[in-house]
Amino acid sequence: MFSYAWLILALPLLGFIGLSWFGNKISKKQAGYAGCATVGLSFLVTLAVLSELLALEPEKRLGHVETLYQWVSSGSFKLDLAILIDPLSVFMFLIVTGVGFLIHVYSIGYMKGDPEYSRFFAYMNLFIFSMLLLVAAADFFFLIVGWALVGLASYLLIGFWKEKTSAVLAARKAFVMNVIGDVGMVIAALMIFQNFGSLSYMDVFSAAPDQFRSNDDTMVIITLLLLVGAFAKSAQIPLHTWLPDAMEGPTPVSALIHAATMVTAGVYLIARCHVLYELAPITMYLIAGIGALTAVFAGTMGMVQYDIKRVIAYSTMSQLGYMFLAVGIGVFSFGMFHLMTHAFFKALLFLSAGSVIHGLNGEQDIRKMGGLRFAMPLTHITFLVGAICLAGVPLTSGFFSKEAIIMSSFHAEMGNIVFWAMGVLTAGMTGFYIFRVYFYTFMGKSRNPEAHPHESPKIMAGPLLILAFFALVMGFSAHWVDQFLGPVFGVAAHHYEDSMLEAIVVLAGLGGILIAGIVYMTSKDKLEFAKQALAPIYDVLFNKYYIDEIYDFLIVKPVRAIGAFFEQKVEKEGIDYVVDQVGTQVRGISQGISFLQSGKIRTYALNMVVGMVAILLFVVFL
Amino acid sequence: MGNQFVLIISASIFCIGTVGFLIRRNPLIMLMSVELMLNSVNFLLIGYSSILQTLDGQIFALIILTVAAAEVVVGLAIILTIFRTRHDLNVDHINVLKG
Repeated sequence: MFSYAWLILALPLLGFIGLSWFGNKISKKQAGYAGCATVGLSFLVTLAVLSELLALEPEKRLGHVETLYQWVSSGSFKLDLAILIDPLSVFMFLIVTGVGFLIHVYSIGYMKGDPEYSRFFAYMNLFIFSMLLLVAAADFFFLIVGWALVGLASYLLIGFWKEKTSAVLAARKAFVMNVIGDVGMVIAALMIFQNFGSLSYMDVFSAAPDQFRSNDDTMVIITLLLLVGAFAKSAQIPLHTWLPDAMEGPTPVSALIHAATMVTAGVYLIARCHVLYELAPITMYLIAGIGALTAVFAGTMGMVQYDIKRVIAYSTMSQLGYMFLAVGIGVFSFGMFHLMTHAFFKALLFLSAGSVIHGLNGEQDIRKMGGLRFAMPLTHITFLVGAICLAGVPLTSGFFSKEAIIMSSFHAEMGNIVFWAMGVLTAGMTGFYIFRVYFYTFMGKSRNPEAHPHESPKIMAGPLLILAFFALVMGFSAHWVDQFLGPVFGVAAHHYEDSMLEAIVVLAGLGGILIAGIVYMTSKDKLEFAKQALAPIYDVLFNKYYIDEIYDFLIVKPVRAIGAFFEQKVEKEGIDYVVDQVGTQVRGISQGISFLQSGKIRTYALNMVVGMVAILLFVVFL
Repeated sequence: MGNQFVLIISASIFCIGTVGFLIRRNPLIMLMSVELMLNSVNFLLIGYSSILQTLDGQIFALIILTVAAAEVVVGLAIILTIFRTRHDLNVDHINVLKG
């Protein structure tokens, strides 16, 4: 009944293939519209699927597998080209195609001056297709295919400005980090096949609870290996270093990949495999712990960065930490809900930041901005909307989703006061760092007299306004999301009422905003004084806890040294020497005996006669 | 006609052919020498076929004749081509394959 759902995937793939082949034959305008149209149509098909799904009873919405054809059938191993339609996958389709479409439209304006317009849209379409394949997959095989394709597309998009060395290096870093995750996923899939004899979600998830008891070793190992993949994609400690660097790509790419879609894949994976994770509570604790830790850790780093996009990137890491905390303590639908609200307000923040960068002709350092509220009134409003949502000001979407998670982290069965405290601390820091950027950028006076900021064109303003609207109101859909996703996770997550705790969280967020206001809106002296007083901590934070340096020292340098050793000693002095000697020796021997090859037929004939006579004598006389 | 007669005639013709092949420089003559060697063997086969009163030897001789004829065709063709390109048939000068 959902056979047409294949169109959701097929359209962006078609866009990618079409734009790659005919991209340079059509005009820029056509390429941009084609790129947007495929994603837009895909969104419409998703809406059709959604409406059909809603018409069904809640229990009957699960497990609609649409098989296109059987791809592999080898012994007991069967692999269908199939997609899974259930509330969770449709929910992800909506976010990916909906937010993705708005970002595509925005890109038409943002990338206007770029000569390789069609290549950009081809990659964007490829990315959307990969992400949709990842969430649509009905088995672990296509999950990994989508997973790897998303890594590839992000590599291509981060390194889109290929003449920029830093962009290429960032792309490489992201790719390597992602591949570490892919390896974990592949091993996990192999173990799943070994234990269940199938890769299909349906078979695995229905067999798992009967086959394994809680905290079975195999289950813990499988979930941990899947977690490696999830951490790498979602930039959680310790595989987070690629995300801030990935800001080298064009801003719409940051909004699409590093806010709305790709980084949420890890959260989706855990939610999708919740049956397996519920069998491994140890892993769940680890997820919650790492999530909370990442939230705090990324928040601290975000407070001292000066690159507008980097601050938002760290905030993405921090918010992903919240989502991991949520799925870790077992409130999956809250995690998915935060994933959705975050997709809206983070895409909004990135695109607003992009609008600022666009208006200032590529400037990204917030110390060189200021007073933009007059020059860019619309961007000012949309950025402010994004900022209050992120900071969790009451009645915005961020407030509802964050509130639900922090509340559960205290009251849920697996929650405890440490997780809660970390959540509240992060909420405070979030308010501080995002409003620090806001005050730097939009308030005060311009710090760079040579800048002539201008408001962005309408094609960029439209998506900003739509996103701002959804960022503000989506919080009220909390109940609906809970009901919709409930059947997937067995039960709807429980909403805890505790006005005391609620007040503390809100106050933390508002307190952060207030401190940012005091520090950055009043005199410069206080700022300098604070910086002086906290210099050691400040340095550590500004250098991102020296994690890049530590990785460099622990992994990159030793690997390089081993490589150098093998190149010099083993390759050049070992293998090459042997190969060279074979050649030299053969040449020497040949030169020694080449006189036999005189080229004279009569000599050869004489040799033959002498040989024959010798054999004859031998036979006759011996 | 005794055994020895056949053997001596055959061996003599074979040696004449061999020596001829070794000392002459004209490939045509060398081919003729090869024919001599082959026919010495034919002579031996037919001689013994007669002595032993069997037909095997004669059949072999016919086969050898056929093969020799085919061989000469190839040999003459090569000689002709070499002469066309080099205008020289001295085998001592044909030594491009010298090592």
